[in-house]
Amino acid sequence: MTELGQNLIDALALGSLYALIALGITLVYTVMGMMNFAHGEFIMLSAYALYVFAGLPFAAAVAAALLTGIVIALLAERVAFRSVRNADLSAQLVTSLAVAAILQNVVTVAVDARAQSVETPASISESTSIGSISVPNLEFVTLGLTAIVLGCLGWLLYRTRTGLAMRAAAENFDMARLLGIRADRVIAIAFAISGVLAAAVGVLIVMQTGQVTPTMGLTPVLVGFVAVVIGGFGRMFGAVIGGLLLGALSSLLGAYLPEGLAPFRDAIVFTFPVLILIFRPHGLLGGEIGKARV
Amino acid sequence: MSGARFRSRPSAAASLLVPLVLIAITALVGANGTPSFQGTVTLILCNLIVVIGLQVFVGNSGVYSFGQLGFATAGAYVAAFLTLPAAFALLQTPGLPDFIVDADLGPLSSTLIAAAISGLLAIVVGLPLMRTSTLAIPISTFAFLIVVYNVVGNWDRVTGGSSGLVSIPTTTSVESAGLWAGAAVVLALAFKWSASGYRLQATREDEVAARSIGIKVTRERLIAFGISGVLCGVGGALAVHQSGVLNPATFYFGATVTTMTMLVVGGARSVFGAVIGAIAIAMVNEALRGVENGASLFGAISIGEAPGLAAIGLGLILLATMIAMPNGLSGGREAGDLPWLRRLGSRTSAPLSRSHGAVATRPAGHAVKGALRAEGISIAFSGLHVLRQIDLTVEPGEALGLIGPNGAGKTTLVNVLSGFQLPDSGTVALDGVDVTGWSPARLAHDGLGRTFQAVLPFPHLSGLESVAVGAMGMGVGRRRAVAVAVDVLGRLNLLEQAALPAGSLPPGGQRLLGIARALAIQPRYLLLDEPAAGLNEAERGELGAILRGVMKDFGCGILLIEHDMSTVMELCPRVQVLDDGMTLCIGTPEEVQADPAVVESYLGSSFLAAVDA
Repeated sequence: MTELGQNLIDALALGSLYALIALGITLVYTVMGMMNFAHGEFIMLSAYALYVFAGLPFAAAVAAALLTGIVIALLAERVAFRSVRNADLSAQLVTSLAVAAILQNVVTVAVDARAQSVETPASISESTSIGSISVPNLEFVTLGLTAIVLGCLGWLLYRTRTGLAMRAAAENFDMARLLGIRADRVIAIAFAISGVLAAAVGVLIVMQTGQVTPTMGLTPVLVGFVAVVIGGFGRMFGAVIGGLLLGALSSLLGAYLPEGLAPFRDAIVFTFPVLILIFRPHGLLGGEIGKARV
Repeated sequence: MSGARFRSRPSAAASLLVPLVLIAITALVGANGTPSFQGTVTLILCNLIVVIGLQVFVGNSGVYSFGQLGFATAGAYVAAFLTLPAAFALLQTPGLPDFIVDADLGPLSSTLIAAAISGLLAIVVGLPLMRTSTLAIPISTFAFLIVVYNVVGNWDRVTGGSSGLVSIPTTTSVESAGLWAGAAVVLALAFKWSASGYRLQATREDEVAARSIGIKVTRERLIAFGISGVLCGVGGALAVHQSGVLNPATFYFGATVTTMTMLVVGGARSVFGAVIGAIAIAMVNEALRGVENGASLFGAISIGEAPGLAAIGLGLILLATMIAMPNGLSGGREAGDLPWLRRLGSRTSAPLSRSHGAVATRPAGHAVKGALRAEGISIAFSGLHVLRQIDLTVEPGEALGLIGPNGAGKTTLVNVLSGFQLPDSGTVALDGVDVTGWSPARLAHDGLGRTFQAVLPFPHLSGLESVAVGAMGMGVGRRRAVAVAVDVLGRLNLLEQAALPAGSLPPGGQRLLGIARALAIQPRYLLLDEPAAGLNEAERGELGAILRGVMKDFGCGILLIEHDMSTVMELCPRVQVLDDGMTLCIGTPEEVQADPAVVESYLGSSFLAAVDA
């Protein structure tokens, strides 16, 4: 019973992390129709901010990381993605792949290809006991942060004019433009928020692993993509569900997979979306993509 | 009288020969270099085969796959297993069954088996993945790549785990890699120019229009995915027999980005693009690696060691290409279609004439069976009733006009009839068979053709190809499809522009081409959604004559949505009026025009009130 409770909290924590990633990707997708491969590099660069500003108090370093996430996301939008805004899905995807490759290797050249360790506050790695269950503090941070982010995002999207504009743009971008919504602004805001989400994920990953590498964004972005596919494209709620499912699956497989199969956890986790797609080719919540448009 | 062709013989020959010559030159330059240079060129040629494999799927389908390197990995490991000398195999891969350990095959047989297994794997993986959407495929194929990486990296007893395999026989020479690359070009072009290849290209150009001419998108994508898997497997197998070592990272993320860059920079739509992209990027890559290793540039600027620099360079090239030159170096054209080569050759194909055509019309008696009938069709989009209890019948050979103000539900009704929209209630029947819920492709095979209000052309296909692919959608072979297309184009007076890309025609021409495309499936019923929109007065008159000819020759029934009343009156003895999702009245054009309800719905009751007053 204790073990089960422990595993469930682990699963929820990892699922929350994945949901944050998937949300950041979905947000950009809804306003611009682009699956942003470089989202993983937003995560990676924010994490490197922690490494660069290691001398500062941790809170200040985290603030620097969040700022880095925003700046990088806005910069990438302005320099690269704005030019392909009206290109087709595949062209946008490949463009973001190029941006990802550039950012990743810039860090390799500027810092090093090898992992660098980052000091995090000791309290993060301790655990708190609730009854017989001992929960790592990091999981509390993850769960708390996810709750705060979801709350803020919900407030922004459903209680502010900016949010209304973003939802309108997500519904029908051209029509929203005709009605006077400024496309540049809506897209920039979406990228900025996506940058914040990426930075939050970057900080959480560093707190967990205690290190940064140039390739650390690859797995998160793929996890996020797959979560988005599972949830159904362009659905915020679907992204959260997809992320939670994938994280929970990965975490529980880690706990219960027999020893011989344990190394193949990632293979099983990434086969799972295929199984879902066999029965629901357009994801659990069935996004708009692929639906007939005549 | 010889048969008509898509392209002139010189153009087809140039498209085939130019890439082959480029490969031959690369191989010859490589063969005369130092052993290490030979090795580099051999690997470039292996890479080129993988890029051509990528082109077969990505270029023809327009759907990106990030998983093709997974098939290269599969091919490489299979080839390594089959050729590792038994002594080495026992040490490195103790988990393999004995018959594979003892196999010790030669380079040719091992490559062929590797290719077959990669192709088979591609079909198995593609079966579920190709059913998903254009955007889900890149992501789920990437997931597949990770699965392969993870499995290969951890299956220690069979694959040697993350440290990989060594002492694999190095049997691939520059010459053999060049020959295989040449074969890959031939295979890729043969596929592209086959009926299956054209059907897939049509789905790339416009998926909806492709389905309307009977093309099964999933099936066509799967075929190309399998062929692509075979070619990637060959590339992987040959590469491993060049380097002699193999590990899970050999064909992973880095190689995926590199090969994708090669394809996109060259221009994904053409095999020529894949070849020049692969060679050009390989040269840039080698130069950048030189810089990376601390070589001095032009003897002046000296840069220290900087790993990652080459990858930044490739990334920048890819980014610049996507932004400034999305069609790539080749412009998406095959070598024989390049403008300067055409001028050089000056021998263009003889102009098409009706004599090249075969009779596209259905034999009498075969054409007419039963009516197209819709009963009680209702449909609502998020609470908004678009169609309410609509009945509609088109008798064999009859022309029914469907008119009504904008938003009356006319196009929605056509979408229901052609299978693009499932009604909430009601049935559609053809020849008395309930066809409700049938896919558009299946309905097309059953003789239902349609055009689109938004035309939905195949911009990168020529007019002739656009129409012929309609016949190919019905399973007609390429030669016969061209003859059918020539006949249809002749009837619509479109033969003169038939060699031009459909996207370059004026709007009126594209609209007529859309009708020709639908006729090429030799429909029994043709649903025309505003065919006269955007045509000028003269063209509209011509359209009426053309449609009358079509009805007479093809014996097909027509459902005509049109705002231009003169066209409707000229063609349709019977007219049905829709308003606000309901049938207002059915009758002769004269009766309908005299109906006060119709006048009111078109002009508004306030107008009538004003007239009365």
